[in-house]
Amino acid sequence: MALRATVLRHIRLPVQTLTAIGSRPQPQWSFLRLFSSHDDHLTKEEVIDRVLDVVKSFPKVDRSRVTPDVHFQKYLGLDSLDNVEIVMALEEEFKLEIPDKEADKIDSCNLAIEYIYNHPMAG
Amino acid sequence: MAFTLRSVKVPLNSASLEEARGRVFDFFRKACRSIPTIMDIYNLDDVVTKSQLRSIIASEIRKNTHVTNPKVIDLLLFKGMEELNNIVEHAKQRHHIIGQYVLGRQGLAQDLDTKDEGTSDFLKNFYKSNYF
Repeated sequence: MALRATVLRHIRLPVQTLTAIGSRPQPQWSFLRLFSSHDDHLTKEEVIDRVLDVVKSFPKVDRSRVTPDVHFQKYLGLDSLDNVEIVMALEEEFKLEIPDKEADKIDSCNLAIEYIYNHPMAG
Repeated sequence: MAFTLRSVKVPLNSASLEEARGRVFDFFRKACRSIPTIMDIYNLDDVVTKSQLRSIIASEIRKNTHVTNPKVIDLLLFKGMEELNNIVEHAKQRHHIIGQYVLGRQGLAQDLDTKDEGTSDFLKNFYKSNYF
């Protein structure tokens, strides 16, 4: 009890005065929105980095030629089966399940980045 | 029944090469999606990675790219589905998977000993296949 009392006497929290205009939560507490899932989206840079990593680690791909807008079959010289394999590798990386009709359209890096960035379940 | 989940209800009947090609990609996607299950069943985590298995499956499919008859492609797909079913329902064992899919072209008989290096090329080709 005495310990509790001494601890409580010494703890100080910064006092936040709410402005008269609105009571938005202050920016430095924004990381405490624990129950909101709206902040879970990946940032575009993170998506681009991870997509490029997946494409670069594909054994048939020349790492120096990979840029965020490269076309898999025309620029990197892969064939359609390699295209499907890259899409499957992206599915594994981002824990998604891409339906076949969408997967057939993903032909290049920027289409992949667009799709993954707009997917709500991308991990 | 888990065993019949993947069995083909209607026999494949591709009308054109494009349809057969679409079926090949569907089969490839199905196989890739069962890779985590396969790695779990046969404890392959120390032997291969998922991306290596994907490449191995792709190279197996690529062995038959020269085929142009849709009926032959259907037959190859049927055999592929059967093989995938067998693997997923644990009808095979770990050494089957490792020997048939993981090891490279030299297979199980690798040229490791010094005594093997002296053998003639004729014998080495003979061990590999009938036709050389």
